[in-house]
Amino acid sequence: MNDSIIFHIDVNSAYLSWEAAYRLQHGEKVDLREIPSIVGGDESKRHGIVLAKSIPAKEYGIQTGESVYSARQKCPNLTVVPPNYERYMKASNSMINLLNEYSPCIQRYSIDEVFLDMSHIEDKDFLNTAYEIKERIKKELGFTVNIGISSNKLLAKMASDFKKPDRIHTLFPHEIQEKMWPLPVEKLFMVGSKTQKKLNGRGIFTIGQLAKLDREYIYSWLKKPGILIWEYANGIENSQVRNTSNSLKSIGNSTTTSYDVSDRREAHMFLLALSEMVAMRIRNIEQMGRVISISIKDENFFSCSHQRKLDAPTDSTKVIYETSKKLFDEIWDGKPIRRFSVSISELYSNEFFQLSLLNSYNQKEENLEKAIDKIRYKYGYTSIIRSCFLHSGIKPIIGGVTTEEEYPMMSSII
Amino acid sequence: MKILMKPIEMIAWFNSKEKPIPLRYRIVDENNTYKVIKVDHVIFTKEEKIAGNRMIFYRCKSKINNSEKIYELKYEIDTCKWFLYKI
Repeated sequence: MNDSIIFHIDVNSAYLSWEAAYRLQHGEKVDLREIPSIVGGDESKRHGIVLAKSIPAKEYGIQTGESVYSARQKCPNLTVVPPNYERYMKASNSMINLLNEYSPCIQRYSIDEVFLDMSHIEDKDFLNTAYEIKERIKKELGFTVNIGISSNKLLAKMASDFKKPDRIHTLFPHEIQEKMWPLPVEKLFMVGSKTQKKLNGRGIFTIGQLAKLDREYIYSWLKKPGILIWEYANGIENSQVRNTSNSLKSIGNSTTTSYDVSDRREAHMFLLALSEMVAMRIRNIEQMGRVISISIKDENFFSCSHQRKLDAPTDSTKVIYETSKKLFDEIWDGKPIRRFSVSISELYSNEFFQLSLLNSYNQKEENLEKAIDKIRYKYGYTSIIRSCFLHSGIKPIIGGVTTEEEYPMMSSII
Repeated sequence: MKILMKPIEMIAWFNSKEKPIPLRYRIVDENNTYKVIKVDHVIFTKEEKIAGNRMIFYRCKSKINNSEKIYELKYEIDTCKWFLYKI
């Protein structure tokens, strides 16, 4: 494995760069990247969070994920542009096409991050290739990237995060001590705010301090996830660059409603709209699931969730909806709700499946759902909808960012 | 030249080999009347795919109001729209 050369290509403030490049192409005179600007969700629909920020906006202390409102307070002359996911898919696809010219072994880790196995390159040529890729993307596609180079995916990913934008960094195992260990521990992949708190509580503030801990000690304290981050801190990681995506463990969709929902019937409709999406997705990947779970968040941002294991796996919209409705009725205390989510897990292939003696099985219904899916994939998701959504103001199918295209999401597995 | 990026109505020639060739277009001028401009000469073309959006870029020459003018057109492949990019 020591001979592997892995590139991790990370688009600098992806949504914002793509938006800026697209706008320049369409004759806009200001480059969003050069002024304090953000790509932000629609505040009137309560999706108002910062999705991406320019480097000048970062200097005002604006962070991805905070509300557009608080970002505006930090910087009064902030430019806010709405997101356009189809545009970003196009930009991301064009980058993948370009990278395909360099290696057959390519893993799209998320919409703006790609792993490339460049082990076939001889000697030290990889640096030149990295520069060539970076410059070509800048010239042909109009945006900048950071490239991290190392012998495994984890280190390559850490390297691309060093100094931005438009740079190439290496982080080979012999450089870990100098380049990675002095960094604060929360910079390490998989160390989130909760783990950071735990580590800080025991006096661990840098990646180096974590790396030097005794393996047995970290296992007795944080168990398996502890070993994982300990290995990462020591640069140990050996997964392959995968062309195919990981097998899914669960499928779920959620939505923040544009107003607080306090009516039971309306709440059920949101659950139905989400169930439609979840069921359609699970049928599309030819799987069935056995555990249905829902979660709701009330107006005070308190969340609660509830789940149930069915007697037999299902992929039926009706069963998913009926179950989530029951779950909802069991946990809802009547407080207005701002967020719903529905998910299904414990997935099985739908090739063969166990029927239950107690539940009715209706071949006709299954065929109907398949036919509806086909119509929706061909003519658009709203080409055929349930009549209860007519004039209700609630979208008949909810979930996901782009309506009709597969969008590569982030994952915790590299 | 100044950036305009104004949508225009175009008559173009799509042949079987090359990129579409702009022939004549019309724009609404400041007096709200149509003005038709014949494309006399395409100096060069290039294809760009900024942010993955494919556009064909044309630098052209025409006689406008009795004087030779050089300007730039863009054709957006995904939307089939023509623009007067710079003049």
